[in-house]
Amino acid sequence: MSYKIPMGPYHPGLEEPYKLDMICEGETVQDAKLRIGFNFRGIEHLAETRNYIQVIALMERVCGICSNIHTLTLCQAMEGLTGLTPPPRAKYIRVIMAELERLHSHVLWAGIAAKLMGFKTMFMTCFELREKVMDVLQAISGNRVNYSMNRIGGVNRDITDPPAILALVEALEAEMARTVIPIFTTSSTARSRCAGIGVLTMERAISCGVVGPVARASGLPQDLRRAAPYAAYDEMEFDVPVQPDGDVRARLLVRALEIMESCKILRQALAKLPPGEIHTEGEKFPFITGTATSRVEAPRGEVMYSVSWKEGSRNPARVHVRTPTFAVMPAIRWMVQGARLADTPLIQASIDPCYSCTDR
Amino acid sequence: MSPLESISERLGITEPWVEKGGVHWLTPGAKSVREVAQAMNEFHARFVTITAYQLPGDQGFRLEYHWDLNGQLLGFPFQLAGNSIESIYDLCEATDWIEREIHEGFVIDFVGREYEPLLLRQGDTPGVNLREEKK
Repeated sequence: MSYKIPMGPYHPGLEEPYKLDMICEGETVQDAKLRIGFNFRGIEHLAETRNYIQVIALMERVCGICSNIHTLTLCQAMEGLTGLTPPPRAKYIRVIMAELERLHSHVLWAGIAAKLMGFKTMFMTCFELREKVMDVLQAISGNRVNYSMNRIGGVNRDITDPPAILALVEALEAEMARTVIPIFTTSSTARSRCAGIGVLTMERAISCGVVGPVARASGLPQDLRRAAPYAAYDEMEFDVPVQPDGDVRARLLVRALEIMESCKILRQALAKLPPGEIHTEGEKFPFITGTATSRVEAPRGEVMYSVSWKEGSRNPARVHVRTPTFAVMPAIRWMVQGARLADTPLIQASIDPCYSCTDR
Repeated sequence: MSPLESISERLGITEPWVEKGGVHWLTPGAKSVREVAQAMNEFHARFVTITAYQLPGDQGFRLEYHWDLNGQLLGFPFQLAGNSIESIYDLCEATDWIEREIHEGFVIDFVGREYEPLLLRQGDTPGVNLREEKK
């Protein structure tokens, strides 16, 4: 006999509100339906009522974790309309902020995943590390959540003491290499809780159009930093970790390895930070009528912004945001099919969902 | 022949690709969105999203369909005189949520599929968010 188990929209196993209606046979999930929209704020509509400065501050609030990525993508799209090109130093600072944000996001996710695995000490370790990443972000931007770093044509704040930031990053890297990485890659607890569950095959990953670490954990080597470099990524050397198994453990491994790759990029960017301006000179610039699109590899995968401006208008005619979780989340249906009910919170967490981004 | 030229040839479109605003655009002309989606599947392009724009006056809507091909963002604009366009959900599973979202935001009907609510709650009215009512 099958029965329906609703999980959410408010549930201890979920980080934010959304709903999963699962059809179960005993303890095994047969099928599931997802329901989102509990955080819907109408931000795309609100963006049409903001001018080109205000809209940056607004879109920074789409997500609380990858707020910098949203302004970076939006500013890149708007730079496409204004014809402005950020100076080299600004491009490097954008890379540094983006990688620090990736570290922050991945370590936060690792902590939450550890908690759902029943690995509380690891949760504490990850959150302690996350605080240190946030300290670095605060040292650069003055803020811990919404950094206000990006502007049209560059960045708002300089990195005045790169060696000091580099020392913080190296200390972080050493701590992660000593604790998080070996535990997540070799611990029997992580292996027994994660291996073989929540599998998303490569074929299904392709048909669902998933992005980011979830795609890479299903054997798809897609990463916009490599395939379509932006900012200063074409000057960075790094690997794109890919795992073939498509299970929760593969997603864990991909993110653990990406933490080390982010540290590698940060070391390069801080060491090679070019001198010069951090934004284009002059406050006035013309907006070209039309639409422009930009994509960035956020911690959770590809973010895409399409912006449209009407002639003479200070406000955008349209701002469309395609967030990575919006692309990845429908695949949860396939990941939970055949899974044990008790594994479903961890399977859902394994995509590192951002409901706030998804609902906008 | 480059992949983009191969796509043009496969679709039988003689218009050139135009790179603008970060996107490689191909005007589909008389080709339907389903023909484009089938071609994209054959070239193993990854569906990215659909962006909807409401056009001024009675011009209807423009839907921009985006696929990624080896890091290149491809765009196919479709102008809708009315409120409907064929769904490609059966050809491309990844379009499910964005078709539902556009339906709720702009009251555009994707013909050939059934919807369940996505962002809207019971009692909400489609179109109140992004669709401008004509004065």
